[in-house]
Amino acid sequence: MRKLLHIEQIKLLNYNPFRITLGIYFVAFALGLLIYPAVDKEIPVISLSDLFRFPNVWLFLTWVTEPYNALLAMIIIMITTKEFNDHTFKTQVAFGLSRTDLLLQKLILIVVLALFATLLLGVTSLTLGLIYSYKLTFKIAMENAWVLGYYMISSFAYMSAGLLIALLIRHTALSLLTFLAMRVFVDPVLFLLLRNHEAKWYLPFRTITRLTPPPDLIEIFQRKMNSGEPLDETTLNILPKGLPAWLNLTMVIIYIAIYFFFIHKLIQRRRLT
Amino acid sequence: MKDILTIRGLSKSYHKIRAIQNLNLTISEGQAYGILGPNGSGKTTTLSIVTGIIHQDEGSFSWFEKKPEASRRKHIGSLIETPHFYPYLNLEKNLRIICDIKGIAYGDIARVLETARLYERRRSRFSTLSLGMKQRLGIAAALLGDPRVLVLDEPTNGLDPEGIAEVRELVIEQVAMGKTLILASHILNEVEKICSNVAILKKGELLASGPVKELLAEEEIIEISCDDNAALKTLLEKSTLTKAIELENGLLVVTLNDRVTPAEINAFAFSNKRVIHHILSRKRSLESQFLELVKEE
Repeated sequence: MRKLLHIEQIKLLNYNPFRITLGIYFVAFALGLLIYPAVDKEIPVISLSDLFRFPNVWLFLTWVTEPYNALLAMIIIMITTKEFNDHTFKTQVAFGLSRTDLLLQKLILIVVLALFATLLLGVTSLTLGLIYSYKLTFKIAMENAWVLGYYMISSFAYMSAGLLIALLIRHTALSLLTFLAMRVFVDPVLFLLLRNHEAKWYLPFRTITRLTPPPDLIEIFQRKMNSGEPLDETTLNILPKGLPAWLNLTMVIIYIAIYFFFIHKLIQRRRLT
Repeated sequence: MKDILTIRGLSKSYHKIRAIQNLNLTISEGQAYGILGPNGSGKTTTLSIVTGIIHQDEGSFSWFEKKPEASRRKHIGSLIETPHFYPYLNLEKNLRIICDIKGIAYGDIARVLETARLYERRRSRFSTLSLGMKQRLGIAAALLGDPRVLVLDEPTNGLDPEGIAEVRELVIEQVAMGKTLILASHILNEVEKICSNVAILKKGELLASGPVKELLAEEEIIEISCDDNAALKTLLEKSTLTKAIELENGLLVVTLNDRVTPAEINAFAFSNKRVIHHILSRKRSLESQFLELVKEE
């Protein structure tokens, strides 16, 4: 495992597109920290700083940053298709890696990136929470921190889908386009077509996005309108749409298992030349 | 002698094209084994299968008389077709990846780069190398960890004459050190110079295999002429001096038996009252024998 991780480390830390995309991911987080408070000054009724307070900061930031996971999936697509295009999978196998090792390499990378994304979100949420909260107790601060676990599963699911698409298509631009089309076009269109049917909640990307659902922003608006006071440290409701949380989570895990079933089949059978 | 690679009934098709058909080979320890054949004869497919890059449709193979698990390939240095490395990494980092895969220390990198005359370029990106340098890096990678077996597929591809000579010398040195070599090539001269044994493939089928000296042995052919070629032909056919005699453009083309010299033919003719007025040595090239073996039937 350590050997495989070290090999990935040599490959990736020297690969500019990886560094650039990861940099964009970082900048997106940093800009979030700077822009949200700046925008806040322009909105008179709703204060975004209300949402940066514990315990709601966890829910709000996981929801806001969930689309960033698409960037991580794009990283996985770029590096996997590049291995095919440069025939470097072939070299590694010829020198002694098994095809299962190739899969493990990418699995380890996905786990590391998911941990990294979750850690970054955790630190960001914690920092904002500490800055903006009035009342600070451990219980309030940690009340919704569990959502980080869901965020990690969301990252993992996004990257697994990206890996499957990369192995199926092998061409970088086509794989990226397919992934984005699935996320931005196919899934939402199917959701609309199935709007009168429960099946719409079972769509792959829909289940992933519902892992970190939006907090009820209308509730905030109403609370603010009623009291005119800053939002207190009580937990907001999560918009009650879609499948029950446990079923939604189960569906995501089933989808990840299906992705890895096909990823394994493809890696075992693909010609590496 | 221990078997290094055993191939049994190996077949592989690409859609309707049969790349290799029911191939059987046994390569023993210490042999320098050439796989010779024209382009498209199945050499690269065979080596790609035994190095785990592609799967066979039928048949089996074993390395070191054991199942061909991925870990066995750590004891093999291979270069299949053109070398493929990470273009954005420098040579040293590319070889570090191979060291990590094989579980060997990075200390060996300097040695193999020096052997391949690439040490000065160790900090250059792979993408900046010329074709010949890339080929030499492929060989350097194959030498990492001093493996028992070298599998080289057309190792002199893309090299200039000087480079070809260097690579051949390098490979011959490795063979002299007792390594087992499996060399695929379409260049007869290369196989003849490096290998002790050879298998000749054509359209995926094994045409012949055996020691190079037996299979591609040079034969001495002479052309002769006298006043009565037909009579001389009859005389020679009755003797034990020749393997074959053909009449070509008024000349007798005679394939001599082993160790028979043209002088003996001359003496034989003279003792039978036939004066040879034309005699010319026409050594049959290995190439013509190879072409004969693989020519369309």
